[in-house]
Amino acid sequence: MKSQWFRFMVMVLGVAVFALAFSAGDARAAAKEVAFLDLSDFTGPVAGLALPNSLGIEDYFKYINSKGGVDGVKIKYIGVDTRYDVARALSAYKRYSRDPKVVAIEIVSTPVGKMLKALTRKKKMVITVPGDGEFQAHPGNFFPWGPTYQDAFAATIDWILKDWKKKGKKGKPSIAVLSWDNAYGREMLRGGKEYAEKKGVKVLPSELFPPGTLKTDVYLTRLAKSGANYVYVGGVDPTQTNVMRDATRLGLTKDIQFISDYWGPSSLGISVHPKALEGMVIVSFFLRGPEFQNQPLVQRLWKTYQKKPIKDMNEGYGMGVSQGITFVNALKDAIKRVGVDKLNREELYKSFQNMTGLSRDGIVGPCAYSPTSRRGSEVVKFYKVTNGKIVPITGWVKTPDAVALHKW
Amino acid sequence: MKGYRWMAWGVVLVLGMMILGHAALAGDAKLEVTPAKAVLSPALIAKQPFQFKGSGFAPKEMIIVEMIVPEGVTVKTVPKGEKVGLAVGSTDEKGNFAIKMHPLSTLNWIFQVAWTPNMKPDLKKMSPLPPGKYRIEATGMQSGNVAKADFELLKPHPKRRNRPNVK
Repeated sequence: MKSQWFRFMVMVLGVAVFALAFSAGDARAAAKEVAFLDLSDFTGPVAGLALPNSLGIEDYFKYINSKGGVDGVKIKYIGVDTRYDVARALSAYKRYSRDPKVVAIEIVSTPVGKMLKALTRKKKMVITVPGDGEFQAHPGNFFPWGPTYQDAFAATIDWILKDWKKKGKKGKPSIAVLSWDNAYGREMLRGGKEYAEKKGVKVLPSELFPPGTLKTDVYLTRLAKSGANYVYVGGVDPTQTNVMRDATRLGLTKDIQFISDYWGPSSLGISVHPKALEGMVIVSFFLRGPEFQNQPLVQRLWKTYQKKPIKDMNEGYGMGVSQGITFVNALKDAIKRVGVDKLNREELYKSFQNMTGLSRDGIVGPCAYSPTSRRGSEVVKFYKVTNGKIVPITGWVKTPDAVALHKW
Repeated sequence: MKGYRWMAWGVVLVLGMMILGHAALAGDAKLEVTPAKAVLSPALIAKQPFQFKGSGFAPKEMIIVEMIVPEGVTVKTVPKGEKVGLAVGSTDEKGNFAIKMHPLSTLNWIFQVAWTPNMKPDLKKMSPLPPGKYRIEATGMQSGNVAKADFELLKPHPKRRNRPNVK
């Protein structure tokens, strides 16, 4: 009887040891390959922007893997087509985040970012997001791709003041926001409004509309009546194209300067609607137009993996490549610090904060991630649609810290 | 050796309690889909969307409602074997929730529309879910509690036009 109990105990312990050994083996296997989960939109409403960005990330990983990976560690790209749907994104997060190989996640939607923030608050796992200033206000595991939306808005205020003076106008101009009616559409004013007021620029009431709105006459007419000199247009193109089409038809582009945020028209969009977009100014943290199309690294990757003419390349592709560069360099840093066997989410999270000053081949400005900063970079460029092309009208301009002006 | 016996009983007891406790917790969670049976019609988009009501979850936790794709059914862009997220919400202080399916989710996963470059659903390219029973699962993202229910999509009336009227 005694020996039976003894055997039983040995069996229980055996099972426990086996389970531990199995899980340890799994972790070791994971270190030879890491995965990047991209909760993107390939066929949904914002696919025009999100898909090229995802292709850029994936192609850069293919390029690195073709050279043997990062110190022998290959990068697996997992792309999920969420169709801009929060529920699908959360479901995919639930499924894939269990896999220890998944060391970083990209999301393309501000609402998804706000939702995942609640779930991953205590986790040390890199999640890259478009430009929500909240993640700079409370630095954690969310890393915006470039300067935050409010910082870009503040840089635009500085540009507006110079433009106003250059035009010989007196007093201070008025600005209004015309954007999507969602968390993203309002984000730029959380700190951006405070910055404008600090500079003496009057911010008129915003006009917000549902994504997918085709006619914007009503909003534009109200903005014109309110006396706006500058209108900052948010949304993902073709929103900006539709706004400019309506504004041109209403004769508003003569007196109002329209400025697009990051997600405005690409070279591809402008080539389709050159007349409608003529004169629009675009603030961007990544290269656009011929500057982008002539960038050697993106050219090479596009030709190698997409095998299409350069004219078909959307600027979002370069933004994706720049994200790939950041990830790969952080991975290198993590492996250098702790070795392949100890590589995990937390180490990559620490390494992302070591990327301060990292160059991304000039596609975007130098990386600004640090223990206290979650900004992907701190510079933007201003472009203007001129004769059907996106022409730079400034060099890289440092973005003011508008996030700090808001009460979070 | 008497000590070993008590130790062994202790291990068995603790494991048993853990298993039963987990089962009891999961068993308490309930889910109801309204309407439980619905004809595939435009009303599902905004007028009478699917609503998911649940109880037995942790207070103030995030809930994900997913559809388990039946054998032989394909859902646009969703790999085989993956569940499809249909709705997201939160529980109240008592661990109850009521979530309506968002129009975007209904268009994406029930009607399976395509999207135009102008961000409008392309109804010419839609391929709706076929009539039949569908299993739905609600999961508490913090507690891990799971509740299941079914809804049934009925064949559309042959003479009625069932394309969603989206402007």
